[in-house]
Amino acid sequence: MVVRFLIPFIAILLFLLEPEFALFSPIQINEHTVFLVPRFLILYLIFVSIYYSRQRAVIYGVIFGLLYDVFYIDIIGLYSVLYPLICLLAGSTVKFIHQHLSITTLLSLILVAVLEIVLYYFFSFINFTTMTFTDFTMSRLVPTIIANLLFLVMLGWVFKYLINARVLQRARDNN
Amino acid sequence: MPHFSNKKLILLLVSMIFIVALISFSLRDRENATLPEQFIKDTVGLVQGFVAKPANYITGIFNDINSLLNTYEENKRLKMRLEDFAVLQSEVNSLKNENQSLRDIVEKKESLREYIPIQATVIARNPDQWEEKIILDKGSTHGVEVNMAVMTAKGLIGKISLVTPLTSEVELLQTNNPNFRVSAVIQGENEEIFGLIEGFEVERNELVMKRIDSSFEIKEGELVVSSGLGGIFPKGILIGEITEITTDDFGLTKMAYIKPAADFSMLQDVMIAKRNVTSIVEHEKSLEKQTEETQVEGE
Repeated sequence: MVVRFLIPFIAILLFLLEPEFALFSPIQINEHTVFLVPRFLILYLIFVSIYYSRQRAVIYGVIFGLLYDVFYIDIIGLYSVLYPLICLLAGSTVKFIHQHLSITTLLSLILVAVLEIVLYYFFSFINFTTMTFTDFTMSRLVPTIIANLLFLVMLGWVFKYLINARVLQRARDNN
Repeated sequence: MPHFSNKKLILLLVSMIFIVALISFSLRDRENATLPEQFIKDTVGLVQGFVAKPANYITGIFNDINSLLNTYEENKRLKMRLEDFAVLQSEVNSLKNENQSLRDIVEKKESLREYIPIQATVIARNPDQWEEKIILDKGSTHGVEVNMAVMTAKGLIGKISLVTPLTSEVELLQTNNPNFRVSAVIQGENEEIFGLIEGFEVERNELVMKRIDSSFEIKEGELVVSSGLGGIFPKGILIGEITEITTDDFGLTKMAYIKPAADFSMLQDVMIAKRNVTSIVEHEKSLEKQTEETQVEGE
Protein backbone atom coordinates (compact mmCIF):
# COMPACT_ATOMS: atom_id res chain seq x y z
CA MET A 1 0.00 0.00 0.00
CA VAL A 2 2.82 2.37 0.88
CA VAL A 3 4.66 1.57 -2.34
CA ARG A 4 1.56 2.47 -4.33
CA PHE A 5 1.66 6.14 -3.38
CA LEU A 6 5.43 6.37 -3.44
CA ILE A 7 5.77 7.69 -6.99
CA PRO A 8 3.37 10.67 -6.72
CA PHE A 9 4.65 11.40 -3.20
CA ILE A 10 8.24 11.79 -4.38
CA ALA A 11 7.05 13.97 -7.26
CA ILE A 12 5.26 16.31 -4.81
CA LEU A 13 8.30 16.40 -2.54
CA LEU A 14 10.63 17.31 -5.42
CA PHE A 15 8.17 19.95 -6.64
CA LEU A 16 8.23 21.60 -3.20
CA LEU A 17 12.01 21.28 -2.80
CA GLU A 18 12.92 22.93 -6.12
CA PRO A 19 12.21 26.55 -5.04
CA GLU A 20 14.05 26.03 -1.76
CA PHE A 21 17.19 25.08 -3.66
CA ALA A 22 16.61 28.01 -6.00
CA LEU A 23 17.13 30.32 -3.00
CA PHE A 24 20.87 29.48 -3.13
CA SER A 25 21.18 30.77 -6.67
CA PRO A 26 22.62 32.95 -8.23
CA ILE A 27 26.18 32.23 -7.14
CA GLN A 28 29.22 34.44 -7.76
CA ILE A 29 32.26 32.53 -9.02
CA ASN A 30 35.30 34.64 -10.01
CA GLU A 31 33.17 37.73 -10.69
CA HIS A 32 30.84 35.63 -12.85
CA THR A 33 27.20 35.37 -11.94
CA VAL A 34 26.15 31.77 -12.33
CA PHE A 35 22.53 30.61 -12.28
CA LEU A 36 21.78 27.11 -11.07
CA VAL A 37 18.29 26.03 -12.00
CA PRO A 38 17.03 23.00 -10.07
CA ARG A 39 15.22 20.65 -12.46
CA PHE A 40 14.66 17.79 -10.03
CA LEU A 41 11.03 17.13 -10.88
CA ILE A 42 11.44 16.77 -14.64
CA LEU A 43 14.50 14.53 -14.15
CA TYR A 44 12.39 12.31 -11.91
CA LEU A 45 9.50 12.31 -14.40
CA ILE A 46 11.91 11.27 -17.17
CA PHE A 47 12.97 8.34 -14.99
CA VAL A 48 9.33 7.45 -14.38
CA SER A 49 8.65 7.64 -18.10
CA ILE A 50 11.54 5.34 -18.95
CA TYR A 51 11.34 2.77 -16.14
CA TYR A 52 7.64 2.76 -15.29
CA SER A 53 5.00 4.07 -17.65
CA ARG A 54 5.02 6.74 -20.31
CA GLN A 55 1.34 7.48 -19.87
CA ARG A 56 1.65 8.06 -16.12
CA ALA A 57 4.66 10.33 -16.62
CA VAL A 58 2.73 12.46 -19.12
CA ILE A 59 -0.21 12.82 -16.72
CA TYR A 60 2.12 13.86 -13.87
CA GLY A 61 3.82 16.21 -16.32
CA VAL A 62 0.54 17.99 -17.12
CA ILE A 63 -0.49 18.30 -13.45
CA PHE A 64 2.84 19.52 -12.10
CA GLY A 65 3.48 21.68 -15.17
CA LEU A 66 0.19 23.46 -14.54
CA LEU A 67 0.97 23.97 -10.83
CA TYR A 68 4.42 25.28 -11.79
CA ASP A 69 2.93 27.70 -14.30
CA VAL A 70 0.31 29.09 -11.95
CA PHE A 71 2.42 29.30 -8.81
CA TYR A 72 5.78 30.52 -10.10
CA ILE A 73 5.75 31.63 -13.71
CA ASP A 74 2.32 33.28 -14.17
CA ILE A 75 2.40 32.26 -17.83
CA ILE A 76 -0.13 29.44 -18.07
CA GLY A 77 0.56 26.93 -20.81
CA LEU A 78 4.36 26.98 -20.81
CA TYR A 79 5.55 24.24 -18.47
CA SER A 80 2.22 22.42 -18.67
CA VAL A 81 3.04 21.77 -22.34
CA LEU A 82 6.81 21.33 -22.10
CA TYR A 83 6.80 18.84 -19.21
CA PRO A 84 4.51 16.26 -20.87
CA LEU A 85 6.35 16.73 -24.19
CA ILE A 86 9.68 15.93 -22.54
CA CYS A 87 8.12 12.88 -20.82
CA LEU A 88 6.69 11.74 -24.15
CA LEU A 89 10.10 12.09 -25.82
CA ALA A 90 11.79 10.18 -23.02
CA GLY A 91 9.21 7.40 -23.15
CA SER A 92 9.59 7.02 -26.92
CA THR A 93 13.32 6.35 -26.64
CA VAL A 94 12.74 3.17 -24.62
CA LYS A 95 12.41 1.05 -27.76
CA PHE A 96 15.74 2.18 -29.21
CA ILE A 97 18.02 2.66 -26.22
CA HIS A 98 19.27 0.23 -23.61
CA GLN A 99 17.96 1.14 -20.16
CA HIS A 100 21.18 1.23 -18.20
CA LEU A 101 21.34 3.79 -15.39
CA SER A 102 24.27 5.74 -16.87
CA ILE A 103 22.58 5.97 -20.27
CA THR A 104 19.31 7.10 -18.68
CA THR A 105 21.23 9.76 -16.73
CA LEU A 106 22.87 11.04 -19.91
CA LEU A 107 19.55 11.04 -21.76
CA SER A 108 17.79 12.96 -18.96
CA LEU A 109 20.50 15.60 -18.98
CA ILE A 110 20.23 16.01 -22.75
CA LEU A 111 16.45 16.42 -22.42
CA VAL A 112 16.88 19.01 -19.66
CA ALA A 113 19.33 20.90 -21.90
CA VAL A 114 16.69 20.84 -24.66
CA LEU A 115 14.12 22.17 -22.17
CA GLU A 116 16.45 25.00 -21.11
CA ILE A 117 17.17 25.99 -24.71
CA VAL A 118 13.48 26.00 -25.66
CA LEU A 119 12.74 28.13 -22.58
CA TYR A 120 15.57 30.53 -23.49
CA TYR A 121 14.14 31.05 -26.96
CA PHE A 122 10.65 31.51 -25.55
CA PHE A 123 11.73 34.13 -23.00
CA SER A 124 13.87 36.02 -25.49
CA PHE A 125 10.93 35.92 -27.91
CA ILE A 126 8.65 37.66 -25.39
CA ASN A 127 11.49 40.06 -24.38
CA PHE A 128 11.87 38.85 -20.80
CA THR A 129 15.59 38.52 -21.33
CA THR A 130 18.15 40.22 -23.54
CA MET A 131 20.89 37.68 -22.87
CA THR A 132 22.87 36.48 -25.90
CA PHE A 133 23.07 32.76 -26.59
CA THR A 134 26.75 32.53 -25.58
CA ASP A 135 26.00 34.29 -22.29
CA PHE A 136 23.11 31.95 -21.75
CA THR A 137 25.31 28.90 -22.35
CA MET A 138 28.06 30.09 -20.02
CA SER A 139 26.01 31.48 -17.15
CA ARG A 140 22.96 29.23 -17.20
CA LEU A 141 23.05 26.13 -19.36
CA VAL A 142 26.40 24.61 -18.37
CA PRO A 143 26.13 25.32 -14.61
CA THR A 144 22.56 24.02 -14.56
CA ILE A 145 23.54 20.81 -16.31
CA ILE A 146 26.49 20.29 -13.94
CA ALA A 147 24.33 20.90 -10.85
CA ASN A 148 21.62 18.54 -12.07
CA LEU A 149 24.24 15.93 -12.99
CA LEU A 150 25.43 16.02 -9.38
CA PHE A 151 21.83 15.60 -8.23
CA LEU A 152 21.28 12.59 -10.51
CA VAL A 153 24.58 10.95 -9.57
CA MET A 154 23.52 11.15 -5.92
CA LEU A 155 19.88 10.18 -6.29
CA GLY A 156 19.43 8.54 -9.72
CA TRP A 157 19.91 5.02 -8.37
CA VAL A 158 17.39 5.73 -5.58
CA PHE A 159 14.79 6.73 -8.18
CA LYS A 160 15.50 3.59 -10.18
CA TYR A 161 15.27 1.40 -7.08
CA LEU A 162 11.96 2.93 -5.94
CA ILE A 163 10.37 2.81 -9.38
CA ASN A 164 11.44 -0.81 -9.77
CA ALA A 165 9.88 -1.61 -6.39
CA ARG A 166 6.59 -0.20 -7.69
CA VAL A 167 6.87 -2.11 -10.98
CA LEU A 168 7.48 -5.38 -9.11
CA GLN A 169 4.57 -4.72 -6.78
CA ARG A 170 2.24 -4.08 -9.71
CA ALA A 171 3.38 -7.28 -11.40
CA ARG A 172 2.64 -9.20 -8.19
CA ASP A 173 -0.82 -7.61 -7.95
CA ASN A 174 -1.59 -8.64 -11.52
CA ASN A 175 -0.65 -12.23 -10.73
CA MET B 1 3.56 7.05 -39.70
CA PRO B 2 0.72 5.24 -37.87
CA HIS B 3 -2.90 6.26 -38.28
CA PHE B 4 -3.00 9.98 -37.96
CA SER B 5 -6.67 10.53 -38.55
CA ASN B 6 -8.44 13.80 -39.23
CA LYS B 7 -9.94 13.75 -35.77
CA LYS B 8 -6.53 13.68 -34.12
CA LEU B 9 -5.23 16.40 -36.39
CA ILE B 10 -8.13 18.69 -35.55
CA LEU B 11 -7.69 17.99 -31.85
CA LEU B 12 -3.99 18.85 -32.13
CA LEU B 13 -4.69 22.12 -33.94
CA VAL B 14 -7.44 23.15 -31.53
CA SER B 15 -5.27 22.44 -28.50
CA MET B 16 -2.39 24.41 -30.02
CA ILE B 17 -4.64 27.42 -30.60
CA PHE B 18 -5.98 27.03 -27.07
CA ILE B 19 -2.48 27.02 -25.60
CA VAL B 20 -1.36 30.06 -27.58
CA ALA B 21 -4.50 31.90 -26.46
CA LEU B 22 -3.86 30.87 -22.85
CA ILE B 23 -0.25 32.05 -22.97
CA SER B 24 -1.15 35.39 -24.50
CA PHE B 25 -3.94 35.84 -21.96
CA SER B 26 -1.61 35.20 -19.03
CA LEU B 27 1.14 37.39 -20.51
CA ARG B 28 -0.92 40.55 -20.26
CA ASP B 29 -0.13 42.90 -17.40
CA ARG B 30 -2.42 41.63 -14.73
CA GLU B 31 -2.65 42.99 -11.23
CA ASN B 32 -5.12 40.42 -9.98
CA ALA B 33 -4.99 36.67 -10.32
CA THR B 34 -8.15 34.89 -11.46
CA LEU B 35 -10.09 32.89 -8.88
CA PRO B 36 -8.80 29.39 -9.78
CA GLU B 37 -5.27 30.82 -9.90
CA GLN B 38 -5.72 32.35 -6.46
CA PHE B 39 -6.97 29.03 -5.15
CA ILE B 40 -3.97 27.12 -6.53
CA LYS B 41 -1.54 29.78 -5.35
CA ASP B 42 -2.93 29.76 -1.84
CA THR B 43 -3.00 25.97 -1.55
CA VAL B 44 0.51 25.48 -2.91
CA GLY B 45 1.71 28.44 -0.85
CA LEU B 46 0.33 26.92 2.33
CA VAL B 47 2.07 23.58 1.74
CA GLN B 48 5.22 25.37 0.55
CA GLY B 49 5.23 27.31 3.81
CA PHE B 50 5.55 24.07 5.77
CA VAL B 51 8.49 22.94 3.64
CA ALA B 52 10.12 26.37 3.78
CA LYS B 53 10.42 26.34 7.57
CA PRO B 54 12.96 23.50 7.93
CA ALA B 55 14.69 24.66 4.73
CA ASN B 56 15.07 28.18 6.14
CA TYR B 57 16.37 26.67 9.37
CA ILE B 58 19.08 24.79 7.49
CA THR B 59 20.13 27.82 5.43
CA GLY B 60 20.18 29.73 8.71
CA ILE B 61 22.72 27.26 10.11
CA PHE B 62 24.90 27.67 7.00
CA ASN B 63 24.74 31.44 7.34
CA ASP B 64 25.67 31.20 11.02
CA ILE B 65 28.71 29.06 10.25
CA ASN B 66 29.71 31.48 7.53
CA SER B 67 29.50 34.48 9.83
CA LEU B 68 31.31 32.58 12.60
CA LEU B 69 34.30 32.12 10.29
CA ASN B 70 34.53 35.87 9.73
CA THR B 71 34.04 36.82 13.36
CA TYR B 72 37.60 37.92 14.13
CA GLU B 73 37.96 40.26 11.16
CA GLU B 74 34.49 41.63 11.69
CA ASN B 75 35.06 42.24 15.38
CA LYS B 76 38.18 44.28 14.63
CA ARG B 77 36.34 46.40 12.12
CA LEU B 78 33.31 46.89 14.33
CA LYS B 79 35.42 47.97 17.31
CA MET B 80 36.91 50.71 15.20
CA ARG B 81 33.48 51.96 14.28
CA LEU B 82 32.01 51.68 17.76
CA GLU B 83 33.49 54.95 19.00
CA ASP B 84 32.09 56.85 16.05
CA PHE B 85 28.79 55.18 16.64
CA ALA B 86 28.35 56.52 20.18
CA VAL B 87 28.90 60.08 18.98
CA LEU B 88 26.52 59.50 16.05
CA GLN B 89 23.86 58.06 18.33
CA SER B 90 23.76 61.09 20.60
CA GLU B 91 23.65 63.34 17.57
CA VAL B 92 20.74 61.39 16.09
CA ASN B 93 18.85 61.53 19.38
CA SER B 94 19.20 65.29 19.67
CA LEU B 95 18.19 65.72 16.03
CA LYS B 96 15.15 63.49 16.51
CA ASN B 97 14.03 65.52 19.51
CA GLU B 98 14.57 68.73 17.63
CA ASN B 99 12.62 67.39 14.67
CA GLN B 100 9.77 66.38 16.93
CA SER B 101 9.57 69.74 18.62
CA LEU B 102 9.70 71.56 15.28
CA ARG B 103 6.93 69.32 14.01
CA ASP B 104 4.88 70.17 17.08
CA ILE B 105 5.38 73.85 16.42
CA VAL B 106 4.12 73.64 12.82
CA GLU B 107 1.51 71.06 13.81
CA LYS B 108 2.55 68.62 11.09
CA LYS B 109 1.89 65.11 12.25
CA GLU B 110 2.20 62.90 9.20
CA SER B 111 5.48 62.20 7.54
CA LEU B 112 6.41 60.35 4.38
CA ARG B 113 8.97 58.46 6.43
CA GLU B 114 6.50 56.65 8.63
CA TYR B 115 5.28 53.21 7.72
CA ILE B 116 3.79 50.12 9.34
CA PRO B 117 6.08 47.13 8.80
CA ILE B 118 4.52 43.76 7.97
CA GLN B 119 6.92 40.91 8.72
CA ALA B 120 6.94 38.15 6.11
CA THR B 121 8.91 35.01 5.36
CA VAL B 122 10.15 34.04 1.91
CA ILE B 123 8.60 30.68 1.06
CA ALA B 124 9.91 30.23 -2.47
CA ARG B 125 11.94 31.74 -5.24
CA ASN B 126 10.89 31.29 -8.85
CA PRO B 127 12.99 28.19 -9.59
CA ASP B 128 13.63 28.84 -13.28
CA GLN B 129 14.94 32.34 -12.47
CA TRP B 130 14.07 33.94 -15.79
CA GLU B 131 11.94 36.42 -13.96
CA GLU B 132 13.40 37.62 -10.68
CA LYS B 133 10.68 37.14 -8.14
CA ILE B 134 10.10 35.64 -4.73
CA ILE B 135 6.92 34.52 -2.99
CA LEU B 136 6.03 35.59 0.55
CA ASP B 137 3.70 34.00 3.09
CA LYS B 138 1.60 37.13 3.69
CA GLY B 139 -1.29 38.16 1.48
CA SER B 140 -4.25 40.51 1.24
CA THR B 141 -5.76 39.13 4.47
CA HIS B 142 -2.71 40.51 6.28
CA GLY B 143 -3.09 43.91 4.64
CA VAL B 144 -0.61 43.52 1.81
CA GLU B 145 -1.39 45.46 -1.36
CA VAL B 146 0.11 45.62 -4.82
CA ASN B 147 3.06 48.03 -5.24
CA MET B 148 4.12 48.12 -1.58
CA ALA B 149 7.86 48.32 -0.92
CA VAL B 150 9.64 45.19 0.27
CA MET B 151 12.94 45.37 2.13
CA THR B 152 15.37 43.49 4.31
CA ALA B 153 17.29 44.89 7.27
CA LYS B 154 19.97 46.01 4.78
CA GLY B 155 17.81 47.81 2.26
CA LEU B 156 15.16 47.84 -0.43
CA ILE B 157 14.78 44.64 -2.49
CA GLY B 158 11.65 45.18 -4.59
CA LYS B 159 7.93 45.72 -4.64
CA ILE B 160 4.80 43.60 -4.44
CA SER B 161 3.59 42.66 -7.91
CA LEU B 162 0.70 40.28 -7.22
CA VAL B 163 -1.43 39.50 -4.17
CA THR B 164 -3.65 36.55 -3.32
CA PRO B 165 -5.42 36.13 0.04
CA LEU B 166 -2.55 34.18 1.63
CA THR B 167 0.53 34.81 -0.51
CA SER B 168 2.14 37.67 -2.38
CA GLU B 169 4.72 37.91 -5.12
CA VAL B 170 7.64 40.31 -5.03
CA GLU B 171 9.28 41.65 -8.15
CA LEU B 172 12.94 42.16 -7.23
CA LEU B 173 14.93 45.26 -8.19
CA GLN B 174 17.00 43.11 -10.57
CA THR B 175 14.08 42.66 -12.94
CA ASN B 176 14.37 43.50 -16.67
CA ASN B 177 10.86 44.93 -16.63
CA PRO B 178 11.19 48.39 -18.25
CA ASN B 179 8.19 49.70 -16.31
CA PHE B 180 9.81 49.07 -12.94
CA ARG B 181 10.82 52.49 -11.64
CA VAL B 182 11.68 53.74 -8.19
CA SER B 183 11.82 57.41 -7.36
CA ALA B 184 15.07 57.90 -5.44
CA VAL B 185 17.20 60.56 -3.82
CA ILE B 186 20.98 60.88 -3.63
CA GLN B 187 22.03 62.15 -0.24
CA GLY B 188 24.64 64.71 -1.26
CA GLU B 189 26.64 66.76 1.19
CA ASN B 190 24.29 69.69 1.39
CA GLU B 191 21.46 68.89 -0.96
CA GLU B 192 19.15 66.15 -2.06
CA ILE B 193 19.42 65.16 -5.71
CA PHE B 194 16.44 63.44 -7.28
CA GLY B 195 16.48 60.74 -9.92
CA LEU B 196 14.75 57.57 -11.06
CA ILE B 197 16.05 54.06 -10.72
CA GLU B 198 15.34 52.36 -14.02
CA GLY B 199 16.71 48.96 -14.81
CA PHE B 200 19.47 46.66 -13.76
CA GLU B 201 22.81 46.07 -15.42
CA VAL B 202 23.26 42.30 -15.36
CA GLU B 203 26.96 42.24 -16.21
CA ARG B 204 27.92 44.72 -13.49
CA ASN B 205 25.31 43.44 -11.04
CA GLU B 206 24.32 47.04 -10.34
CA LEU B 207 21.24 49.24 -10.55
CA VAL B 208 21.05 52.14 -12.99
CA MET B 209 19.78 55.53 -11.84
CA LYS B 210 18.76 57.89 -14.62
CA ARG B 211 17.39 61.41 -15.09
CA ILE B 212 19.68 63.17 -12.64
CA ASP B 213 19.99 66.90 -13.27
CA SER B 214 23.46 67.48 -14.72
CA SER B 215 23.99 70.73 -12.78
CA PHE B 216 24.43 68.80 -9.53
CA GLU B 217 27.73 67.44 -8.31
CA ILE B 218 27.58 63.76 -7.41
CA LYS B 219 30.41 61.83 -5.82
CA GLU B 220 31.09 58.13 -5.76
CA GLY B 221 30.22 56.49 -2.46
CA GLU B 222 27.21 58.68 -1.74
CA LEU B 223 24.12 56.89 -0.50
CA VAL B 224 20.85 56.54 -2.41
CA VAL B 225 17.54 56.24 -0.58
CA SER B 226 13.92 56.12 -1.73
CA SER B 227 12.34 59.56 -2.05
CA GLY B 228 8.77 58.75 -1.11
CA LEU B 229 7.52 60.85 -4.01
CA GLY B 230 6.34 57.93 -6.12
CA GLY B 231 3.24 57.72 -3.97
CA ILE B 232 3.74 54.20 -2.67
CA PHE B 233 7.15 53.76 -1.11
CA PRO B 234 7.95 55.37 2.22
CA LYS B 235 10.78 57.88 2.30
CA GLY B 236 14.29 56.99 3.42
CA ILE B 237 14.64 53.28 2.67
CA LEU B 238 18.27 52.61 1.80
CA ILE B 239 18.75 51.41 -1.77
CA GLY B 240 22.50 51.45 -2.29
CA GLU B 241 25.74 53.28 -2.88
CA ILE B 242 26.93 55.08 -6.02
CA THR B 243 29.87 53.42 -7.77
CA GLU B 244 30.15 55.27 -11.07
CA ILE B 245 28.73 58.40 -12.71
CA THR B 246 28.38 58.93 -16.45
CA THR B 247 26.21 61.03 -18.74
CA ASP B 248 23.28 59.27 -20.36
CA ASP B 249 22.74 58.48 -24.03
CA PHE B 250 21.73 61.99 -25.07
CA GLY B 251 24.15 63.86 -22.83
CA LEU B 252 21.39 65.92 -21.22
CA THR B 253 21.19 64.28 -17.83
CA LYS B 254 23.50 62.24 -15.66
CA MET B 255 23.34 58.54 -15.03
CA ALA B 256 24.73 56.67 -12.04
CA TYR B 257 25.44 53.05 -11.26
CA ILE B 258 24.33 51.94 -7.82
CA LYS B 259 25.56 48.93 -5.89
CA PRO B 260 22.48 47.58 -4.05
CA ALA B 261 22.74 47.54 -0.27
CA ALA B 262 20.63 44.41 0.13
CA ASP B 263 21.84 40.92 -0.65
CA PHE B 264 19.51 39.23 -3.15
CA SER B 265 20.53 35.63 -2.70
CA MET B 266 19.61 33.73 0.47
CA LEU B 267 16.62 35.92 1.24
CA GLN B 268 14.71 34.70 4.29
CA ASP B 269 12.89 37.29 6.35
CA VAL B 270 11.67 40.46 4.72
CA MET B 271 9.55 43.43 5.69
CA ILE B 272 6.67 44.87 3.69
CA ALA B 273 6.32 48.61 4.22
CA LYS B 274 2.79 49.90 4.43
CA ARG B 275 2.93 53.68 4.25
CA ASN B 276 0.96 55.74 6.72
CA VAL B 277 0.41 58.80 4.55
CA THR B 278 -2.12 58.15 1.82
CA SER B 279 -1.15 59.02 -1.71
CA ILE B 280 -3.00 61.60 -3.77
CA VAL B 281 -4.80 58.91 -5.78
CA GLU B 282 -6.15 57.27 -2.63
CA HIS B 283 -7.01 60.65 -1.19
CA GLU B 284 -9.00 61.54 -4.31
CA LYS B 285 -10.75 58.18 -4.18
CA SER B 286 -11.84 58.73 -0.60
CA LEU B 287 -12.99 62.24 -1.49
CA GLU B 288 -15.05 60.86 -4.37
CA LYS B 289 -16.59 58.34 -2.03
CA GLN B 290 -17.53 61.08 0.40
CA THR B 291 -19.12 63.24 -2.27
CA GLU B 292 -21.04 60.25 -3.59
CA GLU B 293 -22.32 59.51 -0.12
CA THR B 294 -23.42 63.10 0.41
CA GLN B 295 -25.13 63.07 -2.98
CA VAL B 296 -27.03 59.95 -2.05
CA GLU B 297 -28.05 61.53 1.24
CA GLY B 298 -29.15 64.70 -0.56
CA GLU B 299 -31.42 62.74 -2.84
